[in-house]
Amino acid sequence: MKLEEALHNNRYKIVDRWVQYTLETYKASQFFTREKDSFANPIGGTVRDSLRKIFSLLIKNQETANYKEPLSRLMHLRSVQEFTPSQAVAPLNAVKHITRDVLAADKATKLLIGELYDFEFSVDLAVLAAFDLYVECREKIYKIRVEEIRSGKELLTDGACPSKALKNITDIKR
Amino acid sequence: MAVAKLEQLSQSVAQDPSMATGAVPTNDWMDIPVVFKPGNYAYPAKKDKVEYLDSQKGLHFPNAREWSPEDDDWKLPENWKEIIIDGLGERLEKFRSLKIFMDCCVRCGACADKCHFYLGTGDPKNMPVLRAELLRSVYRNDFTLAGKILGKMAGGREMTVGVLKEWFMYSYQCTECRRCSVFCPYGIDTAEVTIMLRELLHLVGVGINWILEPVSNSNRTGNHMGLQPHTFKDNVDFLTEDIENLTGIKIEPTFNRKGAEILFITPSADVFAEPGLYTAMGYLILFEHIGIDYTWSTYSSEGGNFGLFTNNEAMKKLNAKMYAEAERLGVKFILGGECGHMWRVLHQYMDTMNGPADFLEVPTSPITGTVFDNAASTKMIHVSEFTADLIKHGKLNLDKSRNSHVKATYHDSCNTARAMGLMDEPRYILDHVVDWVEMPENTIREKTFCCGSGTGLNTDEIMELRMRSGLPRANAVKYVEEKHGVNLLSCVCAIDRATLTSLMDYWNPNVGVCGVTELVGNAIVLEGETRGELDEGLRTMVF
Repeated sequence: MKLEEALHNNRYKIVDRWVQYTLETYKASQFFTREKDSFANPIGGTVRDSLRKIFSLLIKNQETANYKEPLSRLMHLRSVQEFTPSQAVAPLNAVKHITRDVLAADKATKLLIGELYDFEFSVDLAVLAAFDLYVECREKIYKIRVEEIRSGKELLTDGACPSKALKNITDIKR
Repeated sequence: MAVAKLEQLSQSVAQDPSMATGAVPTNDWMDIPVVFKPGNYAYPAKKDKVEYLDSQKGLHFPNAREWSPEDDDWKLPENWKEIIIDGLGERLEKFRSLKIFMDCCVRCGACADKCHFYLGTGDPKNMPVLRAELLRSVYRNDFTLAGKILGKMAGGREMTVGVLKEWFMYSYQCTECRRCSVFCPYGIDTAEVTIMLRELLHLVGVGINWILEPVSNSNRTGNHMGLQPHTFKDNVDFLTEDIENLTGIKIEPTFNRKGAEILFITPSADVFAEPGLYTAMGYLILFEHIGIDYTWSTYSSEGGNFGLFTNNEAMKKLNAKMYAEAERLGVKFILGGECGHMWRVLHQYMDTMNGPADFLEVPTSPITGTVFDNAASTKMIHVSEFTADLIKHGKLNLDKSRNSHVKATYHDSCNTARAMGLMDEPRYILDHVVDWVEMPENTIREKTFCCGSGTGLNTDEIMELRMRSGLPRANAVKYVEEKHGVNLLSCVCAIDRATLTSLMDYWNPNVGVCGVTELVGNAIVLEGETRGELDEGLRTMVF
């Protein structure tokens, strides 16, 4: 059996364990794993959907650019949740370990472990891309904060009230 | 997981309790302390705002001081515990619903996975049942026989500073949206538990600025922004200039006019901030088109009632202002704009607080003659009810093609949908003015997901929190964006218009946000207009 075939055959098993591992980083992991409706369970749905897509790209050794969409969805999620940057990205690394474990458990695929270098290199690239996306999301948050302030809500404070501003001018003249 | 290295990976990144609560799930929830850090709490109220509010007639906001949630010492008054327990006792006497909500929960868990905060954070204390348990445990300990005797064994726990901090953390991670109450077989309104938690916290001077400053401003000038009459009028006048540039029609609205038939009240955000501005332009065009006798008020210049997020008295006072102004001007009834909690206060609390408004008349549409019996006591109707009735009677000259640049969807605002039952009128309007599609069934109507920033949580310092609590809503919008090419999210709430804009910027940047009346205003063909091609409707820049 060739590696590509082995990964393809075991894709459901690997992705399921990968999803399980990622959802275990949340305290509500049981619900997130159990509920299949992605509108009732958006974290579970997003994680499952993104990891499935990422894995299918990984086994094809795709260009990093192709990972952007599913990785971005995952990073949009994890960058606003209470994870440190490493915690946010770490579940991506897990697929290397899970894949080795799954292949090692079967005699027919055990020897293929030695050929995993390219697959694991793809994972490394995906992790690096995820870091970029994580930071991009954080920057986006800050931009949105600034935009909200600019959009006129600063009027909420007395500082921008025209009559208060007028009073300040009068004070300066004195 | 059996893989050694994988275990190490988990440990290396997750050995510290890093979640908001610092929780490690092996501990009992009662034993997990809260940890405040930048981004997970809203800034405390400024001392002078609290002092001002406390000095006002009918209001009670004691213990003003400088404090920070991140400090160990919150500088609580010496007898804080007594204040809280007495305050709880007083409220249990006063509000029968609270007593029932404290007693009747069987912890079936039907509400647990329905909260957008829980769905976006995974934090068990954001399950409505557990959030309510934060108060219920103290109630059991001090107000039930079983709790007094058995303490923790009966689910009771003593009120401590740690518990108080937990209350602050989680009563401000609830938008009182009431989605959980839809699923509760006992009809427990968990939002009212949050309301009580916040009320009790205010007794010891624990509140947030984004709520208390608008309340203070509303009390002083009549609106959240603290805009004074001339500024408010100027802003509306700017909008009429924009309308003239777009359509060639000069609209001349009146302000504080005694003897007008209708008083129109909308959230002040509609007259000063995008994208609400376009909704306000929609109101102006609509009223001009049908020619009703109405007036704006520069004193009752706010539909929103942030008092609802503080305590019963502040809510009552801000609501009373609308009626005082209606009486002063001698109008027949009040027409309300697209607002969220204004309608919740009106439909659920107004009648027992300030009603019935006997000095007004049951609202009757001056154009169609329809009598709005549903508002027989409050004498105030929603602009969507009013508009839907106009369309039903063929009173509006609409050109739907003017919204052909839009593929819309509709977000049911929590308050209008769940607290008022306004679900079909906006949809009926949309059918006539724009091409639109529904979001998935379990995310709309009474099951709608909150914008994630209601109840005064629309402040920028908790942006990450807002983005994760808004995830369930954004996720449903993403679906219709990808499936149907939706590019505009319409709604009937000013807080939604402001906060969904940020939410979309983060999750679905190709989707804009608008009020339903903006789409109505853009579709209306005004008599004598000289309107050119407006590619972006009322948002088109014309020089």
